[in-house]
This record gives sequence, structure tokens and C-alpha cells, in this order.
Amino acid sequence: MVYALIGILIGVLIGFLLPFTYNSAYTLYVSVAILACMDSIFGGIRANLEGKFDATIFVSGFIGNAILAAFLAYIGDRLGVPLYYAAIFTFGNRLFDNFAKIRRIITSKKKN
Amino acid sequence: MLSLLKKNKWWGDNMKEFNPKLTIGIFSALVGILFASQVKMNIQMVTPVTINSIQRLELEIKSLRTEVEDLKLNIEDKQNYLTLIEDSNHSEKNIISVLEDERDKNMLLAGFKTVEGPGVEIVMFDNINSDELSFDFNDGIIHDVDMQNILNDLRVAGAEAISINGERVLSFSDIKCAGPVIRVNGRSLGTPFIITAIGDPKLLMASVSAPGTYAEMLTKVYGIGIQPYTKDKLVIPAYSGDFSYSYAKTVQ
Repeated sequence: MVYALIGILIGVLIGFLLPFTYNSAYTLYVSVAILACMDSIFGGIRANLEGKFDATIFVSGFIGNAILAAFLAYIGDRLGVPLYYAAIFTFGNRLFDNFAKIRRIITSKKKN
Repeated sequence: MLSLLKKNKWWGDNMKEFNPKLTIGIFSALVGILFASQVKMNIQMVTPVTINSIQRLELEIKSLRTEVEDLKLNIEDKQNYLTLIEDSNHSEKNIISVLEDERDKNMLLAGFKTVEGPGVEIVMFDNINSDELSFDFNDGIIHDVDMQNILNDLRVAGAEAISINGERVLSFSDIKCAGPVIRVNGRSLGTPFIITAIGDPKLLMASVSAPGTYAEMLTKVYGIGIQPYTKDKLVIPAYSGDFSYSYAKTVQ
């Protein structure tokens, strides 16, 4: 949990300091991709707490999910159907799911 | 794809031996960078683009384009008028004749000119069949409301000039019941009423004879006589009275 938070804080700092911007037309895709990435990170934290963290699965999920989510948003834009709802729903759902499991693991550890 | 990644000689099987906390931390930093760059863009709201919104925008653009076209035509019109006035300085057509043309045009539009053209003539009379009278004898009589509704139907059909028994009906004309007669422009008119209207004869005819119109209801239900005829040439007299505003003033 803590290392992920520190990582995000460092990333935000770097992001604000770097003069890195992109076309504002891609904001929708990037925001959906961010959601997918956050889901992957929560999944990674949970796997780490459960002791079965696999870097391959984590990295491939992180990149693959982000690309798939952005692609869905893009396709939805082309077709005129907001397909990115699917990504938002799935990853949002899993985000809370993962967070619930993390909470349970942490509280059970503290009890022990 | 996963097996490919695993067999990769640079990552190899020691991928699993990466420090999980470090890996997660590094990728969290990546998310943070993306997040910060997104925040930096300062976007108020990302609204989804739906087919509906696209169509709405398209309609809006279309109407704006037609408006622009109209305005362009308007500009052209005004410019023509301007050149006409400017040319009148050094040509045989002087400013007075230009202004007179203008006045004539405005008088025609206002209804102070006798006009002629194709249209319809409608003869209206009260229910003459005494045994068809219903409980209320008022039902068989033409009222001011009936007249106004029929005039309105004619205007909807594009009537350009209307008169009742030779009395020109203008925007300020009053139509009022006065016992057995109807007062138009303050003058009493008796039955039969002859409404003349200049416009597209087919459209005007339809507006007083088609099923569902007010005139059809009057004839079918109340037995009031309405006989429309199309005419190739009708003459509608000018408004004969004098009219001037005493309260309304132009806004400066």
C-alpha cells in the first residue's frame, strides 16, 4: 500500500515538473487507461499481500489493460457508442473488489 | 504472449524474482505521471460524444449556415439599394422617384393599395334550413369567432390580401359580432359574407374545404353555408379608413 502511494506521489511530482503534454483529444483515452492502470496496481498490491505476485502477469496486465481500455474508448468514439463504459465498469468494479480484499488481508494480519 | 514474455532471454525466469514492492512502486509512479499530465490539461468535463449530440450539432450548424446565407442575401440587397441611391445623384432617376417606389412598396405591403391576383372567393351564409336548427338558434349563425378562424386558416395557407364584403382586413382590423351583422373595421356587414383572398388558389381552396378544417366543421355540423370558388383574377380594395398610432411610438 505505502510503496504504491509513494510511487504515485513521486510520479505526480515528476509529471508536474516535466513539460510533458499531449493532444487534448486523447484525454478520454488516457483517463480510461489510468483507471485500468490503477486496477492493475491494486491487483498487484493484493497479489503481493497474498504472496503470489508475478511480475510478468503484473506488467503485462498493466500495459495490456491500459491499451485495451484506451482502444475500447477509441472504437466507441468511432462507432458512436460509448464503449468505454465497459472499461469503466469492469475496472471500477475490480478496483473496489481488490481494495476490499486488501483491507481484509491487512486487518486479519493485524489481528494475528 | 505471456509465455513469450517468460521465455524472453533478457527477462528470463528471474522476472519472478523482481522485488514486488519496487515493481509496483515504479508502475505507480507511471500512473502518477499520467495522472499529473491529465490534471495539467485542466479539462473541465469530458462529455461523451453520442449520435444524438452529433446530430444536434449538425442541425445547429445547418441552421446557422442558412442564417449566414440569409444575412449575405440581406447585405447584397442593402448594397444594391445603396448603389441605387448613390447612382440617383447623377442619373435621370432621381432620389424622389426612388423614395416614391419605396413608399409604394411599403403601402402595398401595409395594405393601403388596391391589389389583384388569383385566389379564392368564399360565400358564407347562415343556416337557411329552419328545420335543421338545433336547440340553440345561435348554432346556425355565423359568429365573429367563425370568421376569425376561417381568416386564420386562410392566412396559414398563405393568403396575401383578404377582404370581407369589400372591406380590407389588415393586421389591426377588428371583427366583431353585432347582433345579426358583423362589424369589420368599424363597418357593419350583413350576410351573405363574401371573403376574397389572394394567394395560391389551390392552397387557399384546401384551407376552407379539406376535411378537418374549421370551415368543414361549420358546414357539416352547424349547417352554415360555405361555398368557396377559385378565381383567376380577384380585386381586393385598399383599406379605406384612416389609421394612425396615438400610443405606440418607435423605440429610439
